[in-house]
Amino acid sequence: MKPAPSAFAAIFGRPTPAKRVETGVFWLLRLCTYFVLLCAAFIFWDIGSKGGAVVFQSSAPFINVPFLTESPETLNVFVRDGREQTMGDRAFRQFKAEHAAEMKGVAVETYVYSAGGIFPNIAGTVLLVLGSILIALVLGVLSAIYLSEYATEGPFIRFLRLSIVNLAGVPSIVFGLFGFGMFVIALDFGVSLLAGWLTMAFMVLPIIITASEEALKAVPQGYREGSLALGATKFQTILTNVLPYALPGILTSSVLAIARVAGETAPIMFTAAFVMRDELPWQVQKWTDFIFQGVMALPYHIYVVASKIPQNEYTRDVQYGTAFVFLFTVAAIAMTAVILRQRLRKKYQW
Amino acid sequence: MLTLLFRMSATTETPSLARLATREVLLRKRRGWFFGMTGDQFVKYVFQGNAAVSIIVLGLITFTIFKDAVGFIPMNHANLAVYRLAGLEYVDLYREQVTAHSTMSRYLAGIRARQLDILMQKEGLAPAAAMARLAAYDGFANSFADTINEQETLLGTMTDLVTAVKERQTVAQDLAVAKKNLLGAMSGATPERAVELQQQADAIQIEVIDYQAEIKPLLALRPEIAATNASQMTAMKEILGQAPKFADAELNRRMEKFQGFVQGYFNEAAVVAEKMAAWDQTKPVGRLEAFNAFAFGRKWITASFWQDWYGIIPLLTGSLLIAFLALLLALPLGVAAAIYVNQVARPMEQKILKPYIEFIAAIPSVVLGFFGIAMLGETLRRLSQLPALDWVPGFPMAERLNATTAACLLALMAIPTIFSLAEDAINNVPRSFKEASFALGATRLQTIIHIIVPAALSGIMAAMLLGFGRVVGETMVVLLCAGNRIQTPDLSAGLGVIFQPVHTMTGIIAQEMGEVVRNSIHYRALFMVGAVLFLISLLVNWLAQKIVRRYRISIG
Repeated sequence: MKPAPSAFAAIFGRPTPAKRVETGVFWLLRLCTYFVLLCAAFIFWDIGSKGGAVVFQSSAPFINVPFLTESPETLNVFVRDGREQTMGDRAFRQFKAEHAAEMKGVAVETYVYSAGGIFPNIAGTVLLVLGSILIALVLGVLSAIYLSEYATEGPFIRFLRLSIVNLAGVPSIVFGLFGFGMFVIALDFGVSLLAGWLTMAFMVLPIIITASEEALKAVPQGYREGSLALGATKFQTILTNVLPYALPGILTSSVLAIARVAGETAPIMFTAAFVMRDELPWQVQKWTDFIFQGVMALPYHIYVVASKIPQNEYTRDVQYGTAFVFLFTVAAIAMTAVILRQRLRKKYQW
Repeated sequence: MLTLLFRMSATTETPSLARLATREVLLRKRRGWFFGMTGDQFVKYVFQGNAAVSIIVLGLITFTIFKDAVGFIPMNHANLAVYRLAGLEYVDLYREQVTAHSTMSRYLAGIRARQLDILMQKEGLAPAAAMARLAAYDGFANSFADTINEQETLLGTMTDLVTAVKERQTVAQDLAVAKKNLLGAMSGATPERAVELQQQADAIQIEVIDYQAEIKPLLALRPEIAATNASQMTAMKEILGQAPKFADAELNRRMEKFQGFVQGYFNEAAVVAEKMAAWDQTKPVGRLEAFNAFAFGRKWITASFWQDWYGIIPLLTGSLLIAFLALLLALPLGVAAAIYVNQVARPMEQKILKPYIEFIAAIPSVVLGFFGIAMLGETLRRLSQLPALDWVPGFPMAERLNATTAACLLALMAIPTIFSLAEDAINNVPRSFKEASFALGATRLQTIIHIIVPAALSGIMAAMLLGFGRVVGETMVVLLCAGNRIQTPDLSAGLGVIFQPVHTMTGIIAQEMGEVVRNSIHYRALFMVGAVLFLISLLVNWLAQKIVRRYRISIG
């Protein structure tokens, strides 16, 4: 005799029409979700494989060092002895001087920025990010402390929160326009690091304030009360009993802000970025020149090489290579933030 | 530095503490050492001042953008006034007529192409033989096209006349600016330098153009225009009498339609003549007109030798078209992913999926734009060329970079925003709602459709709005992938409109800001566009907050 089916199986085991529809819809939802992930993964794969081929190589030292340490150059393409040759501008000039007779009348095609490397761009981006994050962190964390520790409900706070929310929604190009009108022109900084720093700092300010305030609010009230009960002033309490516990959360938020700042192009287009510049950022006479100089930046370079030069086999390398370096740097920073946040949640269980 | 200040305040107070009773110490009103503030109060104000930076920045953004944008109205007013005074407007009226005629000639060329097609495909004639058969038609078409020649000559004369006036006006304007700059520099200069500047400024002779006199030769052409119109009309009617007949019914139909066009042209010529007669050079240009030319202008033409137009409509429609397309893709996907991750996925899956989707937000927009140029645009065009997809309106695509290419990438950018906000909203639906639904015997799907989603709807709507805000404000992707053709999307193409290249508000700022002359009208026009973007972002934010606040379900 067969065992009688359990009550559960009798009720839920039978596939009813409703159940079938449910399974179908759930599969549809699953499909949508994984489709999005697949699209993103495809972009990573496409740029990763094509750009990776430029940045990495199969023999030691496995990394294309010139690409990462040289300045961008114009690429010269010409046919010599029936063979096609490609040369960066500096090498080509030397070559031309040596083989002056031979090179007479040889047609040379040129592609700007397609030879050499992207070192000044990397350096410029790092400088831009560091400066703006520093400014944004100081302003943002102090604002967050005020909002979480001192603020009492009132019109000022309501207005403040409204400003922060609206600031977060302003498009980045409007920040660029603001930076251009305010810092570059009205304050006469010119296209400079300083103008770029301030523009981007104000752009990420809402992110840092919101995230830092969250981190500060997560510190249990008891910590503050204990300190106050022992006679510490409010400021001492914040300094010794609140900030240290909120610091990891604040740092995580700042890493996220770094990813945002590094990834933006529109705000620096007319405040800080140069298309081409021969000197490196630290080759300056006085320190004031340092903050008042424009720099080359990776995202702007990608824009330039993607839109201003043709797409072909000669320009492909620099396009994909730059995109690769940029995408994976930003992705790594963002990934760090995600991992940090998860570890943080595990570590602090109030 | 703050700690230092704090310590200072502590040391100043210590000595007196010992002599007072505890009660007195506690109740004594402490006097501050810094402008009557205690250290703690001072620290508080430091923090408060820092927090106020956000307000200040928002205020500064508003101020900077609107300050430069507002200047656009008077400048455009002057621009339009010159357009009228110098007679450019008058010439443009006449140009309409000539353009209408050339449209008809193009229509005839279209008929010819179709006819050639029929001759070669259906009757299998060699190209030379087919051409020979078309000789009669060609004669007709050519003599028709020739009927506009006199008008074109006249138009050329008129154009030359007004361009000369406008040129002189531009020179005078530039000189006026130079003079103003010289005089402006005087205030900070040494006396000798000031005298020198004054001399330089005095040396500048600014021509005062007497527009009333300048316009006379233009208006003197009126009888000639009327005469050419009359002779053209008789010539066209005569030619139309000799219109060739075709064997093909479709072509005959087209030819009949053409006759209708010619009638329409006669009417239009009459209207134009009327408008030209009524045109009044001295009619003042209203302030509102200068604003309307921006807000409702359908042309964005800059740095042209004829007349610059700054109308936002082509840019606004381009931005909105792309944004709606992107939302159309992103909203279902984002919300579906949010429902799946929050309600259906297993905990393990959830833990991986959520950070992954949020991680997509970290892909820099310029990289996405580059991907669009290098990969997606070409792929989509190849796809559109498949014979199996011919039924889709707008396929095959004419351009690799168009509104759809940009919208696909923008959708990918908007999905994380929509996903996180919608997921939050779904997560905030009280557990008891779900449990009550299960208790009544609803399946999981029924619960999701009838309970969870309606309860989270306000959050989902807010997510949609904020996603829209993000998409409208996005610059690099549209700059690289939208095709950048300044043109109002042509709705006559039906659904195919989504495959047309467009330009956007963000794109135009990014593209033209680097090259404009500071404080010129073009520069201010770009700030005007920036102001519109700024207002849109504020509006979207305000709406989102309002929706969330208004429809929030109270738990309890």
